[in-house]
Order: sequence, then structure tokens, then C-alpha cells
Amino acid sequence: MKDRIRFNVGGKIFETTSTTLANAGRDTFFGAMFDDDWNLYSNYSGEYFIDRNPNCFGVLLDLLRTGELCIPPNVSEKLLYREAQFYGLTDHVRAAKWGPIDGNRLSLSRSIAGRAPGDGTAIRGGPDGGCCVAHGCMVHVYDWILDEHPPITLDYQIVNDVGWIDPENIVVSACERLGRGDGGMGLFNAENGELRHKFQISHENQIKSFTAGALSFSSSDSHIFSSCKGRSNEYGIGVWDSVTGKQIDFFYEPIGWSLGDADKLQWLNGSSCLLVATLFPRKDNCYISLLDLRVKRMVWSWSDIGAPVTVDGRRVRDAIAMEENGSICVVNEYEDLGFMDLRGSVGGGVRWSSRSRSRLMKGKMPDYEPCYPKLALHNGQLFSSMNDCISVFCGPDWMLTSRFRRSDGGSICDFSIGGDRLFALHSEENVFDVWETPPSQITL
Amino acid sequence: MDSQKKTNFQIEAFKHRVVVDPKYADKTWKILEHAIHEIYNQNAGELSFEELYRNAYNMVLHKFGEKLYSGLVATMTAHLKEISKSVEAAQGGSFLEVLNGKWNDHNKALRTIRDILMYMDRTFIPSTRKIPVHDLGLNLWRDNVIHANNIQTRLLNTLLELILMERTGEVINRGLMRNIVKMLVDLGSSVYQEDFEKPFLEVSADFYRVESQRFIECCDCGDYLKKAERRLNEEVERVSQYLDCSSESKITNVVDEEMIANHMQRLVHMENSGLVSMLLDDRYEDLGRMYSLFRRVVNGLNTVRDVMTSHIRETGKQLVTDPEKVKDPVEFVQRLLDEKDKYDKIISVAFNNDKTFQNALNSSFEYFLNLNTRSPEFISLFVDDKLRKGLKDVTEEDVEIVLDKVMMLFRYLQEKDVFEKYYKQHLAKRLLSGKTISDDAERSLILKLKTECGYQFTSKLEGMFMDMKTSQDTMQGFYASQGAEVGDGPALVVQVLTMGSWPTQPCPPCNLPSELSMLCERFRTYYLGTHTGRRLYWQINMGTADIKATFWKGQKHELNVSSYQMCVLLLFNNADRLTYKEIEQATQIPTTDLKRCLQSLACVKGKNVLRKEPMSKDISEDDAFLFNDKFTSKFYKVKIGTVAAQKESEPEKQETRQRVEEDRKPQIEAAIVRIMKSRRVLEHNSVITEVTKQLQPRFLANPVEIKKRIESLIERDFLERDNTDRKSYRYLA
Repeated sequence: MKDRIRFNVGGKIFETTSTTLANAGRDTFFGAMFDDDWNLYSNYSGEYFIDRNPNCFGVLLDLLRTGELCIPPNVSEKLLYREAQFYGLTDHVRAAKWGPIDGNRLSLSRSIAGRAPGDGTAIRGGPDGGCCVAHGCMVHVYDWILDEHPPITLDYQIVNDVGWIDPENIVVSACERLGRGDGGMGLFNAENGELRHKFQISHENQIKSFTAGALSFSSSDSHIFSSCKGRSNEYGIGVWDSVTGKQIDFFYEPIGWSLGDADKLQWLNGSSCLLVATLFPRKDNCYISLLDLRVKRMVWSWSDIGAPVTVDGRRVRDAIAMEENGSICVVNEYEDLGFMDLRGSVGGGVRWSSRSRSRLMKGKMPDYEPCYPKLALHNGQLFSSMNDCISVFCGPDWMLTSRFRRSDGGSICDFSIGGDRLFALHSEENVFDVWETPPSQITL
Repeated sequence: MDSQKKTNFQIEAFKHRVVVDPKYADKTWKILEHAIHEIYNQNAGELSFEELYRNAYNMVLHKFGEKLYSGLVATMTAHLKEISKSVEAAQGGSFLEVLNGKWNDHNKALRTIRDILMYMDRTFIPSTRKIPVHDLGLNLWRDNVIHANNIQTRLLNTLLELILMERTGEVINRGLMRNIVKMLVDLGSSVYQEDFEKPFLEVSADFYRVESQRFIECCDCGDYLKKAERRLNEEVERVSQYLDCSSESKITNVVDEEMIANHMQRLVHMENSGLVSMLLDDRYEDLGRMYSLFRRVVNGLNTVRDVMTSHIRETGKQLVTDPEKVKDPVEFVQRLLDEKDKYDKIISVAFNNDKTFQNALNSSFEYFLNLNTRSPEFISLFVDDKLRKGLKDVTEEDVEIVLDKVMMLFRYLQEKDVFEKYYKQHLAKRLLSGKTISDDAERSLILKLKTECGYQFTSKLEGMFMDMKTSQDTMQGFYASQGAEVGDGPALVVQVLTMGSWPTQPCPPCNLPSELSMLCERFRTYYLGTHTGRRLYWQINMGTADIKATFWKGQKHELNVSSYQMCVLLLFNNADRLTYKEIEQATQIPTTDLKRCLQSLACVKGKNVLRKEPMSKDISEDDAFLFNDKFTSKFYKVKIGTVAAQKESEPEKQETRQRVEEDRKPQIEAAIVRIMKSRRVLEHNSVITEVTKQLQPRFLANPVEIKKRIESLIERDFLERDNTDRKSYRYLA
């Protein structure tokens, strides 16, 4: 056969075809080796020697042949991943391990116990399947095979939020220590935890210390947004360029409108606006607004000042903008979902959906410390955490379609979706769970 | 999991121990550096890909990524400096070829190097936020070769020189140009723009500024436009052949600006070849070119349109005011139609049927057509002419086309009611004299007027047709009822006209010959017997008669005459010679009519069935008339017309005008009342505006007349002046 290829890998002979190797793609060891540009072996008819582990090669060759990953007991998983990295097949391995996330087909992949004491602050999934967890003044970083890397600290200041710029870089926002003139934000190398850059705010050409709160990123123009609290009047939203590290804008908060204290920022790609939500109990009232930073204007706003207080004092605890639906979804401490229209410039009342409420009236409150619910949106599916479980809502009417929980986790204080994985951080036990959707199987 | 961790730990520990050799990194880098040299020297075939890839991998794995990266930068920079030298050394014409060859070599080497360093590209570079290998290779090429002192300007000058050569008609190596330009684009759009496009546009602007100046001095407008169009096409083609497509709009803007925008006024107004002479000579191709070129620049089409409009207005004004040209109404209208056809064709053939040009044409016609107050009359006369004889040998479709054109002129008229008045008169004449050729054509035109102006406008005209039809039936009924009694006598045809529908004037009775007056009496009895409660008035002045006459040598002729003429001629059955006074007494025909009818019987050459004594052109009351026995004609039938101008004479015109003004009064009053009824109180100027607007479809109301009508309405207590605001009127229910 013309396209047959013979490898000698670490002394073991493998035969395959160029068709199989073509499945690897151009940006891999095999793609480079057999590309026309590289005429190293153009007239070679014998075998190609590769000085690597033969067992792993066999597994990876099978992966190229079938698209499935079968790791025999005699092959170390971790070694296999390193070999995959050598050949440039990491993406193939990941794709064989889990598929695109689907809230209705999630299964628990791993539970990782953390060492940190006290409550968790935030968990963030990275673009390639890794994650980072913030506890107090520490951020623990895990790569996609859930190996822990050196932890990140910004001079041991209390961490408010963390986020991934790309698989290699993490931004951390921290609380200013009283009297120390510090705080701020840092960019860290995810692999070794080294501080790469400190983001600064200058106000009238003077560098000011500040407390950085919630973070958000726009991937299209590599901007970083953070809610900022300074000591004088530098309250508002800061904007930095993640490539140059320079501050490029600052949106001062209007009087009576809390932006510097925001709990949540969300960059909206479609409308190029930033959602800013400052919620109870950080403030006595809830404020949600959309900022258009190009025109320096608040283009949409809502607050519950003056709204009639319900008997049980339910308040909005999290908010998420759903651009495709032109609405904002909010949730209260009973996991009632509410919706607001984004069209127009002022939010009307919240349309609470009664479905979740009636369901919850029947349930009893858990016996452990409750956590406030959080929301996430992914591929048209809405995820909401409540106590120890996560609910999935789908379709135009946001019907509850799935709910999953791990039995012994305690309340979920934060969760995040990234790299097609869902990470849920439990407050009491300091454990986080990794949920994945199995890849579509080849039918036999 | 525990067991896995164990295995990992052992392997990691083992590997780390291998790298104790302090010279490990240097040794490995030497291998890779050597390979990069070999790749640049095109000896890659000797190398082992697997070994190099593994070495690069190991360097990154053992944290020597930084060394690898900086080594790569240094080695590649050194090679590019060498390349830069050999490009600089290239002689004259081979410069671009050498540069292109080296660029291809570098690209190939870059791909190969990237392949070996793929592991670094994928892991080390993103995590340290460095520039990826491929982009690094391009940046180094840009900095060390393209921006080298002796290359940057030389490259730009060579490119611009070649383009200039091509513009002056020489053939250049377009493939090479394409490759070099593509290289600049690959290095980043800013390199292409700064190092080539910007100076290219500047040089082009200079070139076309000079060239356009030269052309405009020596070419006429048409030739200039041809040349400009060719240049524009050349530039578009150049971009498609070897420049980046983003340059197309930029370079065409330069040509537009330099060759068209800067010379627009001069081109349009060029003596003997500018827009006006193109229009005069119907040079469709040149006009089309001017349109498509001027369209490209700001205000280009406005300029063309303005010049065309003022030209049409000027020539149109001449057409309608030149006393020579308004002599013949039919030719007058025909000339207008020809003018309209001419410009319609220009707009559709050369101006892309541009709506704004059509509008300009329409407003121009509206402007000059109404400069002549006789336009409504002339248009009606034109129709009259066409419907009498003009459409004899044409198909129905052609009739429609002519009528549509007339309607188009009609639309331009401001005084549509004047047209209506004339049209009614002319239609009445056509119908009564049976001169209308095609009923279908007549009805078709009335239908068009109806769609244009509404039912009211044409109801009376339709009434006239109705009368014609009923009269036919009435005559049939009359003869059926009379039976044989009237068989031998003269045949009487009566048309019963509804008063008010027809432009009739009261006609004093005259003495009819006895046999006729008897017949008329019979008809009156018959008609009033079938239609009770009606009154009949005879309009003798509008009738005609066919009479048979025998002349010298028994020569027989049939004479077609008016009813008055018939009355006069029948007198000569009993006498050979009659004086004017005798005739007047016998017939009782009004003086002016009698004179006119005698004139046409006695003074027109070839039709003089009477002789007058003494011979002269005009009729006086002392004249005597004799039967002209010697009358001859080569036709059996002889039509003796009444001497009357087809076109209205000055007093008649005044009269018609007066009647029109008279008719307008009630219409203006009705409009005022309608408006005031709905608005209750309205300020004077607003009343004037609204009335004018409401009456626009029929005529242009005169503000003075409107004011008079308002005053008359105040007198009659329809309106009153507002007590507080004297400028306002109040409606009184």
C-alpha cells in the first residue's frame, strides 16, 4: 500500500497510514513531519524512528484511528497526557475525554478536596478545562488534568474575584488593606503563579491605591473591567488593556448609583456594553445597569429603591444578561427566577416566574448553612445554584429540565463553566466538583 | 490514582536528574542553531525532524525556553541581515526579482523552523506572551530587510516607477509586482499602507493633476471624458491585477478628484462640446459617459442636472414665446412633444432613467409651457386637429400614444379649466359637423381626462356624446312616425342638445325657407309630443346643409354649406339678382353672420357660387349678388366653408378668458366656504394658501380674485371678520 507508514517508537514497530495521521491536523508533530514543506523524509522508504514511549504512542495512535481514548491499566494517565503534549495532541485527548457541555447530560468527573480553611470566595473555569479557586487571600490553580500548580497570592491580601484571560494567564482582584495603600489587581502566570503585572489606577496623573471588586473581560478587544473603590472619589469601573497592561478608561459612578461596590460585571459582546450589578446585602438596595463605555453613558438601569417590599423580604441576589433574549435574568434567595426587559432604557418591574416558587414552598430548608443562589448561562441553557444542587433551565420559557447534586458537599457557594466543564465549589468542606458531558460515543 | 501518582513521580525524578549537565542547554541549542543555518542554506534534507523537534521540546521542558527563543531571534536576525546585504547588492532591474526570491526562501525556511519549534510555539510562547514564531519571522523580515536603509526607499521608488511606466503604456512584469505587493500585505496592513499605498496615492494624484490639465487644454469634452473613463478602468484593473483590493476605492477616489471633480465646471460648460452641445446633438454615448463619471463625485450630477434644466428652460421659453413659432398651434404643440421625446430619450438612454433628471425635465416643461397663456387653447387645437384628420391612417395603438403625450402636456398646464373650456368648444364643433374620425379615440381621451381630473371635469363632455346618441334615435323615431308624408321633401337631421352641456350662445331666429320651416314645425310637434315639459330653441347658426345645384351646361354639383348659407342660396331659386338689403330682409340673419356667409359664397376663389357687384373683398350693405352660372369645379361635391379663423381672434380670446374668469368665481367661493366650514376661524393668508392648494388641479387661483370672493361672501353673510383679529375670518353657519 502506497500510504503505509512504519514507525519505530522506542524500539517498538507501529504501522499506520498517512490517512490516520492526517487526523492529527497540521499543527501537530505528525502534521509538520509529513507536510510538503518539510522534505526531510521525502524519499525515505524505511521506518521513522521516534525516541518516545511506545505504550503511550500506541494509545495515541488508537486515538487518531478511532477518536476514542482507551487507556490500558499499564499506561499512566499522566504520562500519556505528557506524551500527547509532546505530539501536540492535547486537544484530541481532551475532546475524547469530554464533549461540549450540556446541562442535561452532566456527570460528575472528579471531586477535589482543597486544603484551604474557611469559606470559598470564587471558582472560575479556565478556557482549556483548568480552574482556579479563591479562598480568603489565596488562589489555587489547577490545570486541565486537575494537577495543582503553585498558588497565587497578591501579597496575601483578601481576594475579591479571579478570572482567566487565556489558558496561561489569571487576573486577581484584591481588597486594599487599611492604612497600607495597596490592594488592586494583578496578572499571574497560571503555570507557576508568578506575578506578571500589576494594574494601576491613576487619577489626575497620580497613582492611587484601590480595592478591586468584580472582574469581567472582553475577548474581542482584550479589555479588563473591574469595579473599583478608591479612598477619595475614584469609585466606578476601571478599564485596562490586558495586552499592554495600561489603564485606558475610568467610568465614575453617578451620584446615588453604586458601581464601585459591584458584585458582578458581565461584558456583553453583542451590544458592547457592560452589565454592572450591585446587590443586597452588600448594599441596602439592588442596582443593575448597562454601561456603554464608548459614549460614557448608562444606557439601561434598574433598581429596587421604592419597590414594595415583599412580606418575606425577598431580594435579588444575582443577575445575568441574556443578550439573545434581550432580557436580564435575576434570582432571589428562594431560587425564584425573574426576568426584566433589556429594551428601552429603564428596566420595568421584575416578572417573577411562579414555577420555581411553588416548587420550593413544598421543600424544606436544608439543615446546613444556606448559600445565596448564583446564575450562569451557557449555550442557551441557564444554570442556577441553590444550596447543594444546580438546576438547569432550557427553552424559551426556561423550563426546569435537570437538577444535579453531589451527596456530601454542603452548600454550593460558587460555580463556573469553562473549557466545557462545570466547576462547583462547596462552602463547608472546601471541596470542588468537576462535571462533564461525556463525548458522543462511537456506536458499535 | 495513587498508583499513577507514584509512577509519575519516579519518571519526573529520573528526567530531572538527566539534566544535571550544565552544558546541556548550550549543546542542545548548538544542534538547533546548526539546523537553522542548514535550513537557510537549503540543506534541510540532511536533518532529522524527529531529533530537532525532540531537542526543542526538551529545551522548553527543562525551562530553557527563553534561551531557545532569544537564540532563534538572534540567528534569524543574522541571516536576514545577510539576505538584506545580498538584496542591496542586486543590480538595477534584478532588484525586485532578488527580493522576491529571498522572500520566498525566507518564507519556506520560516515554515520549516516553525515546524521544529512547534512545541515552543504551542506552550512556551503563549504562557510568556511572546510573539509566535511565524509572526516573529515576518517582523524580523520587515525590520531587517524591508526597512533597511538601502532598501526601503529603493523598493518604494522601484514600485512607483514601474507603475508610472505602465501608465505611460509600457508592459511590466505584473506577476512580480503582485508578489512584492502581497509580501507587503502579509507583513501587515500598516506596512502596505505606510510603505507603499500612501506614497502611491500621492504620486498618482500628482500624475493625474498634470495629465488632466494637459487633456483639458487640448481635448474637447467628449474626448476628455473618454480618456478619464479609460484611466479609471485602468486603475481598477491595476488593483485587481496586483494591488490589495482595499486600495481600489482609494485610487479611484484620486482619479475622480483629479480628473473629474477639479474640472467639472469647465467640462460641463466647454464651448462647442460641453453638455449643451451634447444635448443639442443627442450624443447619447458622451452623455452616458458624463453621467456615469460625474455620478462618482460630490455634486457631479447636480451640476449636470442644473445645466440641463436651464438649457431646457431657455430653449422651451423660446419655443413658446417666439411669435413666429406660435403661429400654427398644431406645429407649436408638435414641437413641444418632439422636445419632450428628445429629452425622454436622453434620460432613458444616457442618464440611467434617473428620477431626479425626470423631475427636473417635468418642472422645466411646467415652467415654460405656462409662460404662454395660449398653451391650453393650442393643446386643445392640436387634439382637435388630430381627431379631425391627423389620425386617419394610424393604428389604434399609435392613437393612444399621441393621446398619452397630449395628456402629459396637459398635466403641465396650470390653467386646466381654460383647456376644458376650449376643449368643449372644439369637441362641440367636431361632433356637430360630424368631423370626428374615431369615437373610440374621443372617448379614450375623455377617459384619460377623467382619471386625471375626476368625474366633474368630464361629465359635460360625456353629456355631449350622450346627446349625439339620443338625437340619432330621435330622428329614427321621427321619420318612422311621419311615414311617407315627408318622403319627397328635404331631409332634416336635428340634433337635440342639452342646454348647459354645450358651448351654445342664444341665437336670434331667422327665416327658414318655407319647406324647411314646415318640417321643423313637424319635428317640434313630434319631439314635444314625446317629451313633455321641454323647450326647443333652434341653433340655426350651428347647422349645415347639403344642397344640389345645377349650373351652366347642366353641370350638377352638391354644395355643402352652413344653414345660413343655405337660406341665402335658396333665395336664388326665385331670383337671379338680389341686393344685400333684400337678402337681409328675407332671411333675418344677424348682420355679422350674414356678411361672413356672403363673403364665403361670393369672394372665395373656386367656391364662388354667387357673383357680387361690385367685385371686392369685403361685403358692404350696397352690394348686389347674382347667381354665378359659370361656376365650375372638378369635384362633384363642393364644400363651402364659413370664413372664420380656426384659431381664436383677439376679441374672441378676450371673451373666452372672461368666461373662464366668470366660471372660476363660484369655484373659488365654493372652495372658501368648504375650507371655512371645516376650520371655523382662519387667518387671511392661510385662507389664500389653502384655496390655492385646493384649486391647483384645475387652475392657479389669483390671490386678488380670492380676496374679492371673500369680500363678496362677507357681504352675503357667509363669513365675517373676526372682531378681535381683523386679519381673520369667521364662518357663519
